[in-house]
Amino acid sequence: MRYDAFSKCHPLTNFLFFLGAIGFTVVFQHPMYLAASCFSAAVYLLLLNGKRAWKLILGMIPVFLFLTLVNPLFNTYGKRVLWYVFGKPYTLEALYYGMAIAGIFVAMMLWFGCYSVVLTSDKFICLFGSLIPAISLLLVMVLRMIPNLVRKTKQILDARKSIGKGLGETSSAKEKAADGMNVLSALTDWALEGSIITGDSMRSRGYGTARRTSFQLYRMTGVDWALACVFLLLGALVIAAGGTEATYTPELFIAPTTWGLGAYLIYLLLPSILHIKEAIQWSISISKI
Amino acid sequence: MRKSTLLNILTWIVLIPATLFLGTQIKGRWYYLTCTLIIIEAMIPFFLAFETRKPQARELVTIAVMCALAVASRVAILLPGFKPITAIIMITGIALGPEAGFMTGAISAFASNFFFSQGPWTPWQMMAYGFGGFLAGLVFYGKKKRHRPVVMAVFGFFAILLLIGPLLDCCTIFTTAPKLTWKYAVTVFTLGVTYNLKHAISCAVTILLLSKALLDKLDRLIKKYGMMEVREQ
Repeated sequence: MRYDAFSKCHPLTNFLFFLGAIGFTVVFQHPMYLAASCFSAAVYLLLLNGKRAWKLILGMIPVFLFLTLVNPLFNTYGKRVLWYVFGKPYTLEALYYGMAIAGIFVAMMLWFGCYSVVLTSDKFICLFGSLIPAISLLLVMVLRMIPNLVRKTKQILDARKSIGKGLGETSSAKEKAADGMNVLSALTDWALEGSIITGDSMRSRGYGTARRTSFQLYRMTGVDWALACVFLLLGALVIAAGGTEATYTPELFIAPTTWGLGAYLIYLLLPSILHIKEAIQWSISISKI
Repeated sequence: MRKSTLLNILTWIVLIPATLFLGTQIKGRWYYLTCTLIIIEAMIPFFLAFETRKPQARELVTIAVMCALAVASRVAILLPGFKPITAIIMITGIALGPEAGFMTGAISAFASNFFFSQGPWTPWQMMAYGFGGFLAGLVFYGKKKRHRPVVMAVFGFFAILLLIGPLLDCCTIFTTAPKLTWKYAVTVFTLGVTYNLKHAISCAVTILLLSKALLDKLDRLIKKYGMMEVREQ
């Protein structure tokens, strides 16, 4: 991951932003709001992931087209009939509506793409660790164990190879399957026995005897509070401004856009703005050296 | 009354109906949010039960190991369409009980999405996989004589084809449907059948191949270390 200013903020601020961004995206059907959401999500994803983001963004184009074209097949309301499919009207309104639905879907996918990069597992645990201590401990252990399992699998494979039990070039499918089962069996045995040792060790060190404290990597700073307040304020403004209504079928109605759209755009673009501002500051401070 | 029981009752009697009511009152596309909220709320009682029970360290780590195996099976095996994750979750439910099965399923789904991507499907996967583990535990856990792998495989096959697969398809319906109509739902379900069939077959095959070995190991662990019998303070 690249350096991202917004990712360095407190998880609570991050979470608040995504809650609003994804929540608004799912609910607003207004074409301008949807375009704003798709655009900001794509920009932020590009800033976060660089060239890799194009794969997701370009991959969304066929999905968009598919969902758009499919909608009129199920939704036959609307006045302006384009043509008939299987004797049913294929209307322009339904096609527009399909575009809106597809837009919502695409924007949601892109925002979740950003969410996955920004809200990593440690941030999630920081947020919910005190609320659900046992479950978040479980989550930490699972995430830690996966690389462990991979490493151990390699060890088992190497050990088997060195005693002449490894797979060769000429192994048949049956041998491969049997070998796989043996490796898996050894791996599970090791992991399960290990779990008892870990569990006993945890108990003897006092797990469960008192309320667990947790190491906090993140602290709410003034900037974090300020950002959170800005998000709440902008969110309230978006709702207060209205003009987000749009119905497509049976009759096309799109509310005239208000200044709420501006607030919405600022809300959605804020992480990208922070990212760019930090990048510019960095390049200026480097050029001074 | 215990605090967790009270919260459970509150969830079912107040929270979920309230969400449903609000969701139907507001115009527009609120149904995705409403349904996702309900799915999350339906998981609360399970999580609460686990939290308030204060699980023993051994139990916690054993569940974590089974989750890690399930996640690794989803992440590491790159055969397209072959998903052994549900089978491992079901086997855990069979060996350790419905509640552990649910936790394994929900946590595996959530943790594995850190390797792929979290998305609108996350709560649905958590619920579906958790439910799979729960159901397997409910049917097979605690029997004196263990069922034959074939029986469990058949159970796994139909559980996925009829319950878990459609539950996962619901997410597709709610995120892509223009209007919630039966016609659209039926179309998505029928399109999903081939995919669910693959999922169900891979689960049944994995249960056939692995259930004996894995259940033996888990049973041995429980017997050897006296797990699950005495719950120390």
